[in-house]
Amino acid sequence: MTGRRRLGLVAAAATLLSAAPLYAIFDTWTWLLQAMLAVGLVAGAAVLARTLRFPVWAQAAGMVAVLLLTLTWMFPSGEELLALIPGPGTFAHFGELFTEAGNDTRSYGVPVPDREGLLFLSTLGIGGVAVVVDLLTVVARRPALAGLPMLAIYSVPVAVYVDSVPVVPFIVGATGFLWLLVADNVDRVRRFGRRFTGDGRDVDVWEPSPLAAAGRRLAVAGVAVAVLLPLIVPGLDTGLLNRLTQVGTGPGGNGTGSGGNGRINLVASLSGFLKTTAVTDYVKVRTSEPDPFYLRFGIADVLTEGGFSNRTPTGQPISRGALTDPRDDQGSNGGDYESYRADVEITNDFAQALAPVYSSPVDLDGLDGPWSYDPSAGVVYSNRTTTRGQKYSFDYVRAKYTPAQLRRAEQLPREDSRVQQLASTPEDPKVEDLVRRLTRGQDTEYDKVLALYEYFSKDNGFTYSLQAPDVDGASAISSFLDNKAGYCQQYAAALAWMVREAGIPARVAFGFTRGTKDGDAYVLTNRNAHAWTEVYFDGFGWIPFDATPAADVVGSTRSAWAPDNDRVEEPTASASATAAPGATSSAAAGAADRPDRDQDAGLAGTTSTTTGSGFPTGALIAVAVAALLIALLLVPALRRVLVRRRRHAATEPVTVTAAAASPGGAPPGGAPAVTVTTESVRARADAHAAWDELVDTMLDYQVTVDPTETPRHTAQRLIREAELKATPAADAAVLLGSAEERARYARSPLRGDGLTEALTMVRKGLAETSDKRTRLRAVLLPPSVMLRWRLAVGDTSSRWMGALSRMRDSAIRFSPRRLLANRSAR
Amino acid sequence: MTTPTWDAPGGPLTNDQFRSASDAIIANIEQVIEGKGATVRLALAVLLAEGHLLIEDVPGVGKTMLAKALARSIDCSVRRIQFTPDLLPSDVTGVSVYNQETRDFEFKPGAVFANLVVGDEINRASPKTQSALLECMEERQVTVDGTTYELQSPFMVIATQNPIEMEGTYPLPEAQRDRFTARIAMGYPDPRAELAMLSGRAAVNPLDSLRPVADAALIRRLIATVRDVHAADAVQQYAIALVTATREAPEIRLGASPRSTLQLLRTAKAVAALEGRDYVLPDDLQALAVPVLAHRIIPTADAQLNRRTTDTIVAEIVHRLPLPHDRNRSPYDTRAQGDGGLYESRGR
Repeated sequence: MTGRRRLGLVAAAATLLSAAPLYAIFDTWTWLLQAMLAVGLVAGAAVLARTLRFPVWAQAAGMVAVLLLTLTWMFPSGEELLALIPGPGTFAHFGELFTEAGNDTRSYGVPVPDREGLLFLSTLGIGGVAVVVDLLTVVARRPALAGLPMLAIYSVPVAVYVDSVPVVPFIVGATGFLWLLVADNVDRVRRFGRRFTGDGRDVDVWEPSPLAAAGRRLAVAGVAVAVLLPLIVPGLDTGLLNRLTQVGTGPGGNGTGSGGNGRINLVASLSGFLKTTAVTDYVKVRTSEPDPFYLRFGIADVLTEGGFSNRTPTGQPISRGALTDPRDDQGSNGGDYESYRADVEITNDFAQALAPVYSSPVDLDGLDGPWSYDPSAGVVYSNRTTTRGQKYSFDYVRAKYTPAQLRRAEQLPREDSRVQQLASTPEDPKVEDLVRRLTRGQDTEYDKVLALYEYFSKDNGFTYSLQAPDVDGASAISSFLDNKAGYCQQYAAALAWMVREAGIPARVAFGFTRGTKDGDAYVLTNRNAHAWTEVYFDGFGWIPFDATPAADVVGSTRSAWAPDNDRVEEPTASASATAAPGATSSAAAGAADRPDRDQDAGLAGTTSTTTGSGFPTGALIAVAVAALLIALLLVPALRRVLVRRRRHAATEPVTVTAAAASPGGAPPGGAPAVTVTTESVRARADAHAAWDELVDTMLDYQVTVDPTETPRHTAQRLIREAELKATPAADAAVLLGSAEERARYARSPLRGDGLTEALTMVRKGLAETSDKRTRLRAVLLPPSVMLRWRLAVGDTSSRWMGALSRMRDSAIRFSPRRLLANRSAR
Repeated sequence: MTTPTWDAPGGPLTNDQFRSASDAIIANIEQVIEGKGATVRLALAVLLAEGHLLIEDVPGVGKTMLAKALARSIDCSVRRIQFTPDLLPSDVTGVSVYNQETRDFEFKPGAVFANLVVGDEINRASPKTQSALLECMEERQVTVDGTTYELQSPFMVIATQNPIEMEGTYPLPEAQRDRFTARIAMGYPDPRAELAMLSGRAAVNPLDSLRPVADAALIRRLIATVRDVHAADAVQQYAIALVTATREAPEIRLGASPRSTLQLLRTAKAVAALEGRDYVLPDDLQALAVPVLAHRIIPTADAQLNRRTTDTIVAEIVHRLPLPHDRNRSPYDTRAQGDGGLYESRGR
């Protein structure tokens, strides 16, 4: 009984430990106090019920009742009897709390303050888990199942923190679970009585049992599988197969699937949009702005060795006024703001957790679900829903700058946090040199950026190519600067990097180009997906620069401060004169015709390139994988063949001079002193090699090998069991047996050839008398090889385990826990 | 009569000479004992291994016949002792009697002063008398009244006995049993051999017509040849492993002695030579384990209660013990090669 009582307490403690992940949800620790109280009372009720020897159902009912009373007492409605006995009003209050909690989950971002509804929900959940864990552990004696409700608690932060979940609480929870398992097993073993060693010493509770070796081996194998499996299973983000096949299948999945998951890789999804063969309408946007710039939905502002990547946006819910108006910003140097309104309709094919908007939205409505705004990134995002089928409209302001205005931008000091964060780059001397060379003699920030921007001109050999590989890392960006062929994401990433190298904050923005004009609306498809660079100018904010050649991007547009590099007829300098870039810039002229200009031709071009590169790559990979599998399958067979060849080479006679040695043995009487010559040594080695090969052949054909048998007996049994009698194989087996026995025991070994032929004959004989399955197995998966590998693996693992447990033993010697366990075991 | 010492048995024979000599002896004995080739060979092997033979079986299966046939095939001195309950030790070893003429004690040699001593029904004599054989069998000498007399070479005691469950017998003392190199059982002849026996013995006792085909000198040379047979290290290890296994087997109270290890290997050499080999095989040891070891060991009371004979216990040990050779490892044995061999690592 004490064992069960202790187990119940361990279950309660494990439940509390497994609730640790909730700390990431709440702002304060009130929830933990309440949870401890609830779990402690539930556990107390369980102990009491067991002490009074209640039946199982009464134990369960008692725990539930105590949980109910606890909740009533903690979250009173004022209608209880004695503040403890719940009345109808209490349940109504509980219902309200539920509703409140539902509202809170929608309106609050994590970490949440102490909202009563949420606290009620967490206390109820943890208390419920405590009841279930207790029942599973103590009553059903299935503590392993208790991991499921515990895991349910952990799933709460996982659902909220879509991007990364803190690891430590998981470890705490897992420790609780393991504790539960260990306690249960210790209790199980104790039920049998005390453990003794062979020499009668009392075995300590925590002393590892020799039987535990199998368990440890299983655990190691399980962990290895758990680590390795996600690498090869497609569908997980980091999947190896996914990486391999990303060209073929990845982007489609990234672009349209992944429901509420905001964890998309913007870089990968962009290349997916552009390289998908099919053209899908994503967005229809109507705006009052005559010449709109790009619709944007995301940024990547983290530049590491792995290239540009996006971080999780953080901000306030839009419903609570997260949107700010840049015109109110006192620090801003201004520029000319004009206010517009846009309506966006998103199709069912475009499901992302980031909503496309024009930059600087000041008011947004119509979006279903909880959406937040990250002011620094200018991104509208949601942790729960997607843009799928959404219709919304927003007001935004568009600032127009002239180069002259931008030239006034002050240089940000080195120690400015934005410079620290957003102008950091990986080490690359080549890029550093290039940037130093290009910005030499440029005084203002704007001129530096412009110089870098103009570097991406066709004149410098840059060409647009969708076939360029995805930007996967810093080295790929750097190599784009060498081979100078890429598409928007390479251009954007490279420019952003170079600007950062010049000490100016820059980032890559993702969105759509202007798209195709359809009536008064623009239709944006996956082909319009685009990436460009945004540069931060002090006092102006983030100013877009699109370095991608405008001629190659459908719906591309240019601004006054960042004119098209490749427009030869209009010198870039002249554009700076006008304040209204929409009217004069090259983009304005092009915008009218470019969106619907040779759309089909562009499509056809991209289609052919995609099919030209995508399909064969997929097929190639499939073939490669198949070939790899076949090769893997053939490894044991190959190994067997190699071993056999080596042994055959050993058994081939070198000389035939000694072939005349009398087979009956040297004359016993006149036996000379043993002469150890190289030849006899060699003959012995030959016979041993032949024998090893014979033993392996026997293993392959499933004739058992008995270490107590002499070679002579083995050969005879082989003949008997494999029914080789009166075949040439029988004589061959006898020859091999006598060769081996003389090599081992006689003064002079049997010399002469014939061992290789004998081996071949025995193998042939065995193959003839065994069934098809055995034959196939002997060739494809030779048991001799597999056995050796298996044993090697087992041997290595048990050696490791032995070393580990020795280490643990020596560690346990100093463990205070051992003393405790000793005391309780007495 | 010059008595060649045991340690100078004469030069070894060549393979063919050995073969013809041994074949002649075996063929000679088989004229009398039909259908018992293996037993006959084993008896000869014990002779060539310089050992003593104990033939144990129920009455009337030809124990004495085998002993006499072996003795007669060799032209050497043969003495026969019929062990009876009233036989005295001095009858076996000899006695000093007072000679009136020389007025001195004179030694009258006992029955053991011969090349071959056939002790019939040895377990019918009292242990006191049986013990008289102890010295002569091991040390090949007799000490009477303080004087030690050397025995001739070759010297072999062939004793027969009934199984000790039979009435009127005294079980051999342990020390006495250990002196016998091998204990063999005759077994009943198969029907065809029995029929041949019936027709052969109708007129005359075939034993009478048996002529010697070898003499003591030839036997000495045969023995010298056997001594020269090669026993590889692995074989010697295996012999030790076998004997050690009897000492460690849980069913055995008293295991085999180191003397038995020596005799096992010697007999194996003889068997190998009889088969025309100049090297010993583990097969020889396996075949000899039961005849050489089984009569020396004493099973525990439990094993006796379970009606486990020493023969089956030894046979199981043979069946269980791996050969001490790296190449005869079990495929499941992954220990590093050359870590002292199976013999040394056994029992860890």
